[in-house]
Amino acid sequence: MKSMKSRWASAIPLFVLIGLCVAIAVLDPKFLSLGNIGRIAAAASAPLVLALGATFIILMGSIDLSVEGAMAFAGAVLAAFVANASGTGFDIGLAAIPIALLAAAAFGCFIGMVHVYLKVPSFMASLGMGFVGIGIATVLLGGERVGILDQNVRALALTRVLGLPLSVYVSLFMLAVAWFIQDHTRIGRHIMALGGGEDLAAASGINVRRVRLLAFTIAGMFFGVGAVLTSARLGASSALLGSGQLFTAISAVVVGGTALTGGKGGVLQTVIGVLIVIVLNNGMIILGLPSFVQQGVLGLAIILAVLLNSSGRSLAIVK
Amino acid sequence: MKQFGKLGGLIPWIALVVLILIVGSFDTTFLKPATLIGLFADSATLFLMAIGMTAVIYIGSIDLSLQSIAAISSIVLALLIPDYGMLAIPAALLAGVLFGGLSGVVHAVLRLPSFIATLAVGGVVTTAALYLSDQRSIQIDAQPRLDTLSWAIGTMFGVPNEVWVSLVVLAVALVIEQATPFGKAMKAVGCGEAAARVAGIDVRKIKIVVFMIAGLFAALSGVVLAGRLSSGSPIIANEFLLPAIAAVVLGGTSLTGGTGGVLRTLVGTLLIAVVRTGMTFVGVNVLAQQIVFGVILVAAVALSTGRAPKGVMK
Repeated sequence: MKSMKSRWASAIPLFVLIGLCVAIAVLDPKFLSLGNIGRIAAAASAPLVLALGATFIILMGSIDLSVEGAMAFAGAVLAAFVANASGTGFDIGLAAIPIALLAAAAFGCFIGMVHVYLKVPSFMASLGMGFVGIGIATVLLGGERVGILDQNVRALALTRVLGLPLSVYVSLFMLAVAWFIQDHTRIGRHIMALGGGEDLAAASGINVRRVRLLAFTIAGMFFGVGAVLTSARLGASSALLGSGQLFTAISAVVVGGTALTGGKGGVLQTVIGVLIVIVLNNGMIILGLPSFVQQGVLGLAIILAVLLNSSGRSLAIVK
Repeated sequence: MKQFGKLGGLIPWIALVVLILIVGSFDTTFLKPATLIGLFADSATLFLMAIGMTAVIYIGSIDLSLQSIAAISSIVLALLIPDYGMLAIPAALLAGVLFGGLSGVVHAVLRLPSFIATLAVGGVVTTAALYLSDQRSIQIDAQPRLDTLSWAIGTMFGVPNEVWVSLVVLAVALVIEQATPFGKAMKAVGCGEAAARVAGIDVRKIKIVVFMIAGLFAALSGVVLAGRLSSGSPIIANEFLLPAIAAVVLGGTSLTGGTGGVLRTLVGTLLIAVVRTGMTFVGVNVLAQQIVFGVILVAAVALSTGRAPKGVMK
């Protein structure tokens, strides 16, 4: 049975989101126009998928700083297999997307292997490998920004159904997948168990290494989907495809209420977190604030959110 | 690298000599003293930041905000030089100390893990840097640059001043680390926080001061960088974070804290510099060099976990 206090604490992100929406709507009613809500949904699609991937890792009590590198790598692979502006590579149309996702999953799996078998802490393994991903993407793309000409891929961002681009539906589908993995599969429950206490999880017979490997692979796949959506929107791929997305993804997960210590939170919390981040950004644009203020605001939001989520570990050593 | 016994501490030095000889065998001019000193001068800014990073890693934490701090200090310097001259330098360093202290407080008092605390503070610093600089780079004119920054960019006894600055900083850092009660307390915190606390060390204070020191050295790195490039810019140190961490870890300072030190960071930085020169010599793209640094970083961490405490690896 949850205590009253912790139940209130887990509802805080929702109240923050509602409060933000009300405050911005009062300052400028345009915020609630259908056009703007559609813009928010479209802007939230790629960040949501990325944050969902990061959620699994953070639920485990680890961290993944490779978001930008994984995106760059997946984006470069995508560009290599569709019709692109450089005129090189293999043009296999939509079949490029599963290949890009596979590459991203393999990239995540590799980070997991470095983390598990070489016993490198996850933040360091993912930081180092993230830079490797950006480097590989640079080599694959020849250091250029390569335009993606394939209209079927670009349709993800350009074709609209019921007023919303396809990418919104893709991200909702990925949300359903993430929710299913978390709540209805063994690996999802094991990830939660690891976050709650790794010693205990291992003692009760969970193969900790396998769970960690799988979690990083799943996260990599989600980053791949995020990369495909982003390059469809930009109509191009480059090594800097994921620039700034790490900060957005991590802050969305944390602001949503998933604890960095693991075992607490989940994909639905992440949806709230992503909406908070995107609404905040949208509101700042509507109110005419320069976009670079966002990073500072998000930085403060991260600190606040971690603080709110950190009750009960005051005696632990924090490194 | 416990498994190599006493030789462990020498491995980075041996690797350095071997690497220099390898690059030298491709291009003999590389072996001239002037080339090697020039190489050191070019890595001075990286070295200064890595010294700050060493202090943080030595106590078992990490700082992901140092590149933003170097950027904001370069901007403060460039903005203040026209009106205040020499006074701009202490102001730029003070900005670094303040933001480093902010990271320290968020980490030690609010008890956020250091990587997330510094990631968040880094965001705040970046926003401050973009705001102060109006999102562009700020030129430092030639005359004020000579008047106020010649200690960093000139030459003395035929050796670039960056080298002298690095050596002075290294000496100061070495004394703090080896010969002061504060250095001992840092080591104690790095080896085991709980034990350090029981032994009567104010762990919070040590941590906050260490993050301030890291901010100070990062800011100094930003000042020298601004002097070299004649400008301050919000992206001036953007490619520095990975090499700085890699230099520390490659030298042999363990991520778990308590072992290593600034002298090891010197060899780590030189290794990075030689590898980078070697790659540039062979014609590897700057962004693609990240592949090598990323792999080096992960490999160095993996090799040094031999002495990491057993337990849960998050």
